[in-house]
Amino acid sequence: MINAEAIHKSFEDFTALDNVTCNISDGCIYGMVGSNGAGKSTFLRVLSGVYKPDKGYAFIDGLNVYENPKAKQKIVFVADDLYFLPGATLNKMAKLYASAYDRFDWARFKELTKLFGLDPKKSISNFSKGMKRQAAIILALSTRTKYMFFDETFDGLDPVMRNLVKKLICNDVAELNSTVIVTSHSLRELEDICDHLALLHKGGMVLDSDVLELKTSQFKVQVAFRENFDKSRFEQFNITRYRQEGSVANMIINGDREETVALFKAMNPLVLDVLPLTLEEVFTYEMESLGYEFESALEVEK
Amino acid sequence: MFVVDVMSRVPVYEQIIKQVEEQVLTGILKEGDKLPSVRSLSVKLSINPNTIQKAYTELDRRQLIITVPGKGSFISEKAIEVVGANSREKMTELNKIIRELALAGVTKEEIINNIEEVFNNTEV
Repeated sequence: MINAEAIHKSFEDFTALDNVTCNISDGCIYGMVGSNGAGKSTFLRVLSGVYKPDKGYAFIDGLNVYENPKAKQKIVFVADDLYFLPGATLNKMAKLYASAYDRFDWARFKELTKLFGLDPKKSISNFSKGMKRQAAIILALSTRTKYMFFDETFDGLDPVMRNLVKKLICNDVAELNSTVIVTSHSLRELEDICDHLALLHKGGMVLDSDVLELKTSQFKVQVAFRENFDKSRFEQFNITRYRQEGSVANMIINGDREETVALFKAMNPLVLDVLPLTLEEVFTYEMESLGYEFESALEVEK
Repeated sequence: MFVVDVMSRVPVYEQIIKQVEEQVLTGILKEGDKLPSVRSLSVKLSINPNTIQKAYTELDRRQLIITVPGKGSFISEKAIEVVGANSREKMTELNKIIRELALAGVTKEEIINNIEEVFNNTEV
């Protein structure tokens, strides 16, 4: 269990995290998205004990993380900017990791280097960017820690490798009940693998929800009537967005789907279409309501 | 066994439930057949195991499958009955489609011919 309590972190006059609270239960794959500078990396650094929060606490299994080797024993963190010892090979890095992590699994390390097709005797400095990332992932997965944090790790991998890493993570979660946090600015990376999603914006946690709930509690309705009408006709619904062109109205509604469909049908519409939202839409609307145009190209006009 | 489209608007867990229902109806899955374990399906599809667990729990709740701890999940004897009952509800949808077709000028004969063709091509 990961508990972040009212974490506040600022760098000089820039506030990176502002009062962020969240609880992440075991066996969860927690996805974190947010615009650049939203505080994703800072949050992971606080959780893994790299930064000391100015205010608030980060707990892992009830242990305060900062300067606590016992807690850190349970965490592995693949940072965005990777670091390897100068001139080190994968074997040498593995030795370093094994000296820090009691549960380091050499058999798994060998299996993974083979699976990824990396030569553990070659100097990592000669690896390509993507291979370096793979090397870091191999090391992280070999530590057999309960908590794994990946900071934009998937973004630099080719699709085949990405899929492989996802499979490996799924396996660890299913088998060992590991807990994983993944950050990315691409929702698509997170949609299939995460069961929980959080949206960070300007250092604050804007949204923190079960993926299933995100996808099922909101939906898009397109409706048309023979007679003239306007928004006031739909007062009984919880509408977050409304647009009308002529006799066709598009809206986003929060609530129970079946109930809403039944209510709409009772109004005798000419056309009625109810579509679930994609996560991208959910997030776009959420960001827009905060005054942040999340990529106006994504604006859905289907 | 299952195909999941993560880009779809339909939640992954609903897709899995739907596919089990379809496979029960078409006879691909029969009473007593074992479903893949949560872990193996999760790894195979690279989908979060919790999502798959949710689908299985829901199938269990609807009595389509029976989960035996330590053994796995199996298609229940009631499965066909349960899915069949749901399918009857689709008659209202069919009514709607027929009404639309009628409005569009399709004749009754054409619709009936179509229905007969479907029955001739499906073993019931």
